Amino acid sequence: MSPEFIALTMFATMMVLLLTGQRVFGAIGFIGAVGALLLWGQGGEEIPFNQAFTLMNWYPMLTIPMFVFMGFMFSESGIADDLYRAFHVWFGGVRGGLAIGTIGLMVVISAMNGLSVAGMAIGATVAMPELLRRGYDKIMVTGVIQGGSTLGILIPPSIVLVLYAMIARQPVGQLWLAGVFPGLLLASLMILYIYVRCRLQPELGPPLPAAERDFTLAHKLRMLGAGILPLFIFGAMTGLFLTGVTNLTESSAVGAVAATLAAILRGRMTWTLMENTMRQTLAISSMFLWIILAALCFGAVFDGLGAGRALAATFTETWALSPWQVLVMMQLSYLVMGMFLDDTAMLVIVAPLYVPLVIALGFDPIWYGVLYTITCQIAYITPPFGYNLFLMRAMAPPEVTLPDIYRSILPFVGILVLGLALVTAFPQIALWLPGQMTLR
Amino acid sequence: MPEVIVRYVRTVEAVNRIVGKIAMYLIFVMVGVLLYSAVMRTGFNRPPLWTVEMGQFLLAAYYLLGGAWTLQLGSHVRMDLLYERWAPRRRAFVDTITAFCLIGYLLVLLWGGVSSTSYALEYGQRAATAWRPPLAPIKVVMTLGIFLMLLQAIAFLFRDIAHLRGREI
Repeated sequence: MSPEFIALTMFATMMVLLLTGQRVFGAIGFIGAVGALLLWGQGGEEIPFNQAFTLMNWYPMLTIPMFVFMGFMFSESGIADDLYRAFHVWFGGVRGGLAIGTIGLMVVISAMNGLSVAGMAIGATVAMPELLRRGYDKIMVTGVIQGGSTLGILIPPSIVLVLYAMIARQPVGQLWLAGVFPGLLLASLMILYIYVRCRLQPELGPPLPAAERDFTLAHKLRMLGAGILPLFIFGAMTGLFLTGVTNLTESSAVGAVAATLAAILRGRMTWTLMENTMRQTLAISSMFLWIILAALCFGAVFDGLGAGRALAATFTETWALSPWQVLVMMQLSYLVMGMFLDDTAMLVIVAPLYVPLVIALGFDPIWYGVLYTITCQIAYITPPFGYNLFLMRAMAPPEVTLPDIYRSILPFVGILVLGLALVTAFPQIALWLPGQMTLR
Repeated sequence: MPEVIVRYVRTVEAVNRIVGKIAMYLIFVMVGVLLYSAVMRTGFNRPPLWTVEMGQFLLAAYYLLGGAWTLQLGSHVRMDLLYERWAPRRRAFVDTITAFCLIGYLLVLLWGGVSSTSYALEYGQRAATAWRPPLAPIKVVMTLGIFLMLLQAIAFLFRDIAHLRGREI
């Protein structure tokens, strides 16, 4: 049997096992473990466990529980509610204004945690009922929340970029900076879409009645004050990191403490809240890290088969593709795989094969990290396998049905693909900021 | 189901819940270690040798010891393209079959863990760093976490079989 054949068999078996609905880490880890035992012989049984040490040596992985904790503290303590009310009043007068405000809220939340879970939770529990009550179209609302919350993995801090940094051996700071403008670009595109769509079809997003938004300027400013606290959380953490006072992981711990302090200051801290936050932090972190552990095992076996070299040879020699064609092929393959495969696992398995090729072809690995992250965002909201789809199904009010959820994401997939194309065509969108300053 | 199996499932789930709740608190220890490191380095210009590795050990203990409880809570994602549409009975049936892959993976992990731990214990293995911590303690903890995960996976298998036979545990 040729190595290529074995690699393909491994991949195909993994996909079949995933389809059975077995837990993602179990399906991936099992194929990895069987591969290790069959292909390595003596010592193969050590491979799955040894990946726990590979993972351990990735020091920045400590940021995962910290950022998850921050995000949950933020959503559970209701600080987000205050912030949402501020956006509500400031944007309410415009047609579709509440939806636009929701995107704004998502940008702020994204700047405060590295995943899309917190954004989804806040969007579905705080913003969604409000928007539905004001007669916003449910498909529009569902789409806004799912699309908007994906910004969490692109706007720093971002856990996906931390993971990419580990695999591609690139500085996390530069990757985060590279994510800033693409993230804002995507948010602007979403806002533009909502604005235009609601101009054309006013029934989708009626403006707030004047009585609900006619506050004095002083009142409006006071509501804006609700936004100061989250900004303080973000500032405390990012400021220390940017100025080099603390390193990445230390900054994330500062962020976790700052979020807790903010909840205490607002008088929202209770024992139940603390316990919920801790439990959910453990659940999400553990789920992530077990998937990474299993995917590392699969990846080690996969890489040992020479899958990377085989892939490079296929692209550049057999198919004789130009560098740009290879890049487009990679993105397309990511998009297709992202629909079916958990994107964390996808990154751990596929990035070690792709990144060396990207560098060899003369592309910038920082820029590629941003492209990868936008692809992940698309994967988050495209069926059949998308984190945000899962969460939406679990959290949406009963009047939102599964077909509604699927239909709602279409325009946002379109926006993300457009954003991906723009960043691909104009790498400066991502690379300008990291070119201006260097972070450790 | 036989009494002994019911008792097994109850005991394993109770133990995992307790271990998981303890693991949950490790987040504070991690925060503490990281803050201590930040303060010592920037405030006193005396960066401690041990904080990086300690943080890494804590993270490993956190997700490995917490794994079994999160499994119990159903927090480990599945690809639910088909799974979600199935009736509970069908899910239990498929899970009973595919349990072999979950249990198989955990068994190989445990195998590697036990052999790596016994090596560390026998030769007093230490990390090749300035702090040189002994590796046996963390390996014992990691292997224990994997073992508990295995016990939980087997408990789920029993639950699924019980469901198929029409008697929930």
